[in-house]
Amino acid sequence: MDNATNGRGNSRAVIIGGVRTPFLRAFGDFMLMDTIALGAANVQKLLEKFPIDKKEINGVVWGGVILPGQSANIGREITLDSGLPREVEATTVTRACTSGMKAIAMAVEAIERGDADVMIAGGSDSTSNAEVKMPQSFVHKTAPVTMSSKSGPMDYLKLAARMKIRKDLMPQRPSVRERSTKELMGESAEKMAGRNGITREAQDALALQSHQRAAESIRNGRLAQEVCSVVNTKGKVVSADNLVRADTSLEKLAKLKPAFKKGGTLTAGNSSPLTDGSAAVLLMSREKAKALGLAPLAEFRSWSFDAVDPWDQMLMGPAFSIPRALKKAGMTLKDIGVIDIHEAFAAQVLSILKMLGNDKFAQERLGLSKAVGEILPEQINIHGGSIALGHPFGATGARMVITMANELKLSGKESAVMAICGAGGVSVGAIIVAAS
Amino acid sequence: MSDFFLNLSGNPAAKKLITKLGLPVPMPPILKRAKGPWEDRPVNDLPVIVCHGKGGALASVMAGTLISAGAEIWLAGENQPAEVYAGLGEAWSRKPIALPESGCPESLRPHGLVFDATGFETADDMKIAYRFFHSCIRQLRSCGRIIVITRPPSAISSAGEAAAARGLQGFTRSMGREVGKKGSTANLITVDADADERLEAVLRFFLSTRSAYISGQPIHVSSAVPSPSAKPLFTKPLEGKIALVTGAARGIGAETAAAMAREGAKVIVMDLPKDEEALKQLAARLGGVPLMCDITAPDAPDAVCNLVAEKFGGLDIAIHNAGITRDKTLGKMDDKLWDQALGVNLLSVIRVNEKLIGQIREGGRIVCLSSIAGIAGNFGQTNYSASKAGIIGYVQALSKELAPKGITVNAMAPGFIETRLTAAIPLMTREVARRLCNLSQGGLPSDVAETAVYLSSPGAVGHTGQILRVCGGSFVGA
Repeated sequence: MDNATNGRGNSRAVIIGGVRTPFLRAFGDFMLMDTIALGAANVQKLLEKFPIDKKEINGVVWGGVILPGQSANIGREITLDSGLPREVEATTVTRACTSGMKAIAMAVEAIERGDADVMIAGGSDSTSNAEVKMPQSFVHKTAPVTMSSKSGPMDYLKLAARMKIRKDLMPQRPSVRERSTKELMGESAEKMAGRNGITREAQDALALQSHQRAAESIRNGRLAQEVCSVVNTKGKVVSADNLVRADTSLEKLAKLKPAFKKGGTLTAGNSSPLTDGSAAVLLMSREKAKALGLAPLAEFRSWSFDAVDPWDQMLMGPAFSIPRALKKAGMTLKDIGVIDIHEAFAAQVLSILKMLGNDKFAQERLGLSKAVGEILPEQINIHGGSIALGHPFGATGARMVITMANELKLSGKESAVMAICGAGGVSVGAIIVAAS
Repeated sequence: MSDFFLNLSGNPAAKKLITKLGLPVPMPPILKRAKGPWEDRPVNDLPVIVCHGKGGALASVMAGTLISAGAEIWLAGENQPAEVYAGLGEAWSRKPIALPESGCPESLRPHGLVFDATGFETADDMKIAYRFFHSCIRQLRSCGRIIVITRPPSAISSAGEAAAARGLQGFTRSMGREVGKKGSTANLITVDADADERLEAVLRFFLSTRSAYISGQPIHVSSAVPSPSAKPLFTKPLEGKIALVTGAARGIGAETAAAMAREGAKVIVMDLPKDEEALKQLAARLGGVPLMCDITAPDAPDAVCNLVAEKFGGLDIAIHNAGITRDKTLGKMDDKLWDQALGVNLLSVIRVNEKLIGQIREGGRIVCLSSIAGIAGNFGQTNYSASKAGIIGYVQALSKELAPKGITVNAMAPGFIETRLTAAIPLMTREVARRLCNLSQGGLPSDVAETAVYLSSPGAVGHTGQILRVCGGSFVGA
């Protein structure tokens, strides 16, 4: 479309709706589908659910964390593979676990700035397809020889002789450690549990709540409307999440061994698992929605993208982003109807709740006169969270937007706050309100 | 220049073999040293055990410091001011943990042991310090830090109190001797009652790995020099400061200039005209200004002052590092050797300062290089010792003069530092000299440079007229 209103937009973006693939344990039925395949299948299903004329779509913004080295702009690949018109532009966003939310925010910005009328935004990740990489020294040694037209057989022989097996030829495992702090994220969360006095019992209780609520919402069909079926490479139709454990119990969770530290409190049971999956949202300007006869679910009131010192408490970001988003929206916690906080680890969620309820934290760290507000673990994540449902990094933000937007519509509540922490200490807090 | 035994000690297989065979080979510990600029939290997540011996006069400043420095705080003993720590730490999720009565748990390997002895009233109170350190000193991790804080003996009225304060000095020095073999240090901080707030920078430095080669020292914190009300910077502490480093072409001088620049200072690097090439390269690397000038030349004070006035309109930091040795036993020493050593090491410092002080701004810092030889004397170094001891007297007097202007004047007295100067010492003498300290190894130029940065930083306003030894807890000199 011609960008006649570029930079002069005065429209509001609205959330029409969204859909996600089932979230599956890594190396399961989605193993042979990479993040592009998952995203493409997801976008196709989104357009089946909201069958608008594909020509109306201006662009795609896609979030991802584990990006394929050969085609890092997965947004564009997904656009092409999902059968959208080839002229639809696409951007890929990577911002750790907040990637999906950032993608949606950028799509909203494009609409509200007047750059676009209709956008698809979301994210996907395939942890089954993390790439194994050759050492950079291998590249530095081989490239001058292989890229030169003058290289003869002798050059290749010399090159082979110079190769050191351990240094040059051993592939590197995909690194899950933070580049900056060299810590595993679970180690960072374990430290937070210690510093904030979060017990194993409290973590297991939150994990249990997550599983029980997710299981119930799946059983009663509440989540089913958000999940599409996907045909995998082997022709199998996959239509349900497979990480939620309806039958888990505190006793079972208590038996698990600490995963990150001897004598620690974090286990596989109270941490989010490695997951394959994708989630996508359809966004439009209010006018376009009206013109197309679509009823919006919700719209963004505010967001706050932040970062904290990763050497301190890496996953504490939401304790800053939530109050900042509230302030921007001119709201307090009391005005919020539903709270959804990404569960990277139960310890991290509980640490955040503890700080949100702390006067000293509010005064010294946020410049407020008193605590943001007391939130009990029971009050958040009414349909479960990432511990039970799984956490395909780039998809989680979009999953939360879909669930919360639907929740506002179904419950009649006015507003929802969402918050996500991420690697490197990044975070986001965002508030949506029911569409007026 | 490299220390064979230190390298050997760094090789785990060799170390194991030597230890197993019980060979009489020195195994100096490998010291941990901070790389890069000052950190916001120098002891991030490191466990530090704190004990307030009697009363909690220092509780709030110590709590505030340790929390902002990122320490995992353990409180030892009864009647500790835990609520002060808990209140200040709450917002940072850094609440103190009470050490079990049974003592230091097996799994706890503290980085620091900090003892507040300011409430001591009688010599008998030292027993409290004994009990604390006795219970946990063996758990101290390698390259750990012991700090004991008292009031200065001079500021105390009762004799018993003075005995305790001085007694702790001997106690701390001996702990330094004991923990040195694992690379740990022990220092005593004496703090005037009206200077408690100034402890923050001091604790940060002496708990950090930047003080790796300072051990067994009494360090005084006073309120003699008025300080600006603003809280000192703990990262990029020298941002916006203009610093002069003499003798900067190589060794300790070059290292100091680099450390100053790293912390944000604009550095004038000064050395002899024959070192022009090295000096210009250094200045280019540090974004500083080279000054080729023989410091003993009659016009040297003018050359320095003119450059400072024209380019910067004032100076904040002067590091008088230029120094030479001209060793000969006294009977064989001719006039020239005496004059050269005294001229560079002492007389030029005095002459340059006479002119330069007028240009040093409020909050300024002057740091002179003394030496262990100036404290203890040394064979064949009557000239050198005279000059370096002269620096001590000079610094002590000048510090009083400049205190009202907000300028501190201190000296550093390096022990055996691995430089060109010490590499020229005959092998056996050098080998012995290296081992004669708690840490049984020579220091590095960076150890002196880090100390120079510390003494030049805004937070070091509590130190003036001090002779801070960077000697690894040398056995010579009191």
